[in-house]
Amino acid sequence: MTQENARSSIEQTSSLRYARTEAERCLQCFDAPCTSSCPAHIDIPGFIWMIRSGNFSGAAERVKTANALANVCGKVCPQEEFCQSVCTRGKQDSPIAIRELHWFATQRERHHGYSPVHPSTVNGKNVAVIGAGPAGLACAFELAKYGHRVDVFDRTRPGGVPRLSIPEFRLSQDALESDIEFLSRFFQFHQEEVDSRRFREITSGCSATFLAVGLGIDKPLPIPGSALTGVIPVLKFLESAKTAAAPGMSGQKVIIVGGGNVSLDAAATARRGGAVSVQLLYRRSEQEMRVWKGELNEARRQGVEILFQTRPSEITGKTRVEAVRCRRTCLSDHLDASGRRTPVDIEDSDFTLEAGTVIVAIGQNPAAEFLSLFDRTPAGYLRVNEEMGTSVPGIFAGGDLVGGEGTVVQSVAQGKRASRGIHAYVSR
Amino acid sequence: MIEGGPDVKQSEIEIYPLRDLSYEILNLRLENPFILAAAPSTDNLEMVRRAFSMGWAGAILKTTSVEGNRVDLAYPMMTSLTHEGKSLFGMGNIDLISEHHIDRVEYNVRTLKKEFPEKMVGASIMAGKKDDWQRLVERLEQAGADLIECSFSCPQGNIGEDPGKMLAQSVAATEITARWVKEASRHIPVSIKITPHVTDIVEVARAVKRSGCDALTASNSLQALMGVDIRTFAPSPQLDGKSTYSGLTGPAIKPVTLRTIAEIARNVDIPVLGTGGASIWSDAVEFMAVGAVAVEFCTVVMHYGFRVIDDLRSGMAHYLEEMGFATPMDIVGRALPHIVPHDDLPRRKIRSHINDAACIQCELCYLACRDGGHMAIDRTPGRVPHVDWERCTGCGLCEYVCPEECISMEVVEQGLSV
Repeated sequence: MTQENARSSIEQTSSLRYARTEAERCLQCFDAPCTSSCPAHIDIPGFIWMIRSGNFSGAAERVKTANALANVCGKVCPQEEFCQSVCTRGKQDSPIAIRELHWFATQRERHHGYSPVHPSTVNGKNVAVIGAGPAGLACAFELAKYGHRVDVFDRTRPGGVPRLSIPEFRLSQDALESDIEFLSRFFQFHQEEVDSRRFREITSGCSATFLAVGLGIDKPLPIPGSALTGVIPVLKFLESAKTAAAPGMSGQKVIIVGGGNVSLDAAATARRGGAVSVQLLYRRSEQEMRVWKGELNEARRQGVEILFQTRPSEITGKTRVEAVRCRRTCLSDHLDASGRRTPVDIEDSDFTLEAGTVIVAIGQNPAAEFLSLFDRTPAGYLRVNEEMGTSVPGIFAGGDLVGGEGTVVQSVAQGKRASRGIHAYVSR
Repeated sequence: MIEGGPDVKQSEIEIYPLRDLSYEILNLRLENPFILAAAPSTDNLEMVRRAFSMGWAGAILKTTSVEGNRVDLAYPMMTSLTHEGKSLFGMGNIDLISEHHIDRVEYNVRTLKKEFPEKMVGASIMAGKKDDWQRLVERLEQAGADLIECSFSCPQGNIGEDPGKMLAQSVAATEITARWVKEASRHIPVSIKITPHVTDIVEVARAVKRSGCDALTASNSLQALMGVDIRTFAPSPQLDGKSTYSGLTGPAIKPVTLRTIAEIARNVDIPVLGTGGASIWSDAVEFMAVGAVAVEFCTVVMHYGFRVIDDLRSGMAHYLEEMGFATPMDIVGRALPHIVPHDDLPRRKIRSHINDAACIQCELCYLACRDGGHMAIDRTPGRVPHVDWERCTGCGLCEYVCPEECISMEVVEQGLSV
């Protein structure tokens, strides 16, 4: 045995032992709160029991039956927000490391060979899925299980946000590919741009359509100076950071504007890219911040400075960004559409921060032009009913297009819900 | 009250085909090797229905007896052997047989066979007199039971004619009674449930074989005293300061059962239904490897519910696949050629080998060898212990003391003469 083999064998033994020890801590609750709080409704006690019994293939099957993006979620799911936050064992000592066990099961299957699935019997209708992100993939997977023929369209290879903008340090390409590899057998994939003309062709050629094209256009920052060189929309920043042409952050002072999970990803990415300082501006307080606690702590641990109740009022510089004028805010008792207290500027509270790069992460808008056909919510997202049906009969929608920036597992859940609506619709 | 729950509704569409685990034993078709043992879980029609609909292949309904044998239960009846923080490593009970009237058990058999014709419905019986044994067999066979299991070995109370002693502890009584029962059965197989509390299990098994009965169920719970409160001196389960001997079941008794089944299978040609300590699919594989043709479960179901059948079936299916076995019957007896008398064991020079790279320096192996082995492990400045191969006999203690699983036994020299 070489040194390297010896080490990897030790790692395998210890991860196996860790998994089984952790699995044995699980109380195996009935009607378990972890499963109820998982948007994809994975039978968590069920797969943990299988790890415990040494039936690792069975455990992976359990996970994948409920969650099409099993490996992706095994890495990026904010477990402290969902399953682990309600784990009964947490009332005794500490919650079960559910996501770690989930990851263990799916990765083990990956390295030991996939379980064979039912040969696909196509006996239903043709359904088109536009957008191959988590929602689209989950929906396609469920529809294939119902026996429908599914065609999936996307301008890039399947994966959506996990492929394009989740940083490599949070989700390896490899984990994503393992899910795509598994799912690809369930549908026909067509890599093409879907414009209005193609949209009409596709929708008229099938019994129902699921629309999950995501967002894609960064909201511009409506302040003076936002056109200066060095002001980068967050998606562009994250996408380029995943390719070889990563923007050099070395020695830079970076300011991130916006307080969401994407902002935290950008902050951590900038830090890893060699930025000397990363400051994040958020106009409300920590309480209103809609981020996963773990991500926030991680960003702080990496030295990201977070300025709450602060907003930029102007970006200054000759051709490049040189500084950002900031203003302090206070929170009024007036609640906005999101149910959060509205920030109000505090007079004479301006101050200036030096910066070489400003990353704008204040949210995204839907991009596709054919979306004008549909009813929208005041925030600009597609309006859908309980079954994820849009205002156009036969067209269903899910993912970020419907809910705004969500998490992978929420998109999976929407894809699943839509598949039931679509199945009912085409079976009428 | 909330009706149902996640294990009675099917919310996901399965993508993984359920592998066929069916096979035949005792002229009965079994969907899989997993049967519920005679216990509280099989005493109620609703419960057995639920188990069947969840995938159990069969159930032995809780032991019934004839009228006139009043069952006088005492509560609480369950207690736990807790081991290193885990409760129910062993379960103790002072339960007796079913409180249901035989009419009710007959009705349950009839109803279950009507609703689940493809499931194996067995009935467990216990009696004293010949007439009683035979009447029970006749009535239950007529009701449609697929198999009769006779409890010759319930250790908890005594309903038999010989208080304080289990029927299956007497070779002669076992043979006579087993004959009565077999005589009364017209078509269906009869299995005798025996106890491991005997001097020679093989003698008992031979007596059952001579009686003409079709199978053995091996084996019943172990007679046990579950623990004593060291301040009040009342053993558990404690009923106003009093207690009695319990029947011990669960993971704690698995090795005893394995030995019992193996010893029967090595010596007597009779099908064995294995029971006593199996919890997961691999336990069932072990039971079958030493000779059981099917496995009965009880304690794990009482602890975690009927839902454990999902993993039993899935785990068994993956195992058969991995091993290239066509049916669960392919497992039966595979371990038997590997069991030999001590004299026939190979004599080799082996020694302990510590994987230095994996060692976490706890020095537990050093301590165990110093105080319980052969003082063959030395300490080193870096705390990675060093085995002195001159002194090491290869006893194997350190391998199991090591919390990091980094010690193994390596063979130095094969085939030493004694």
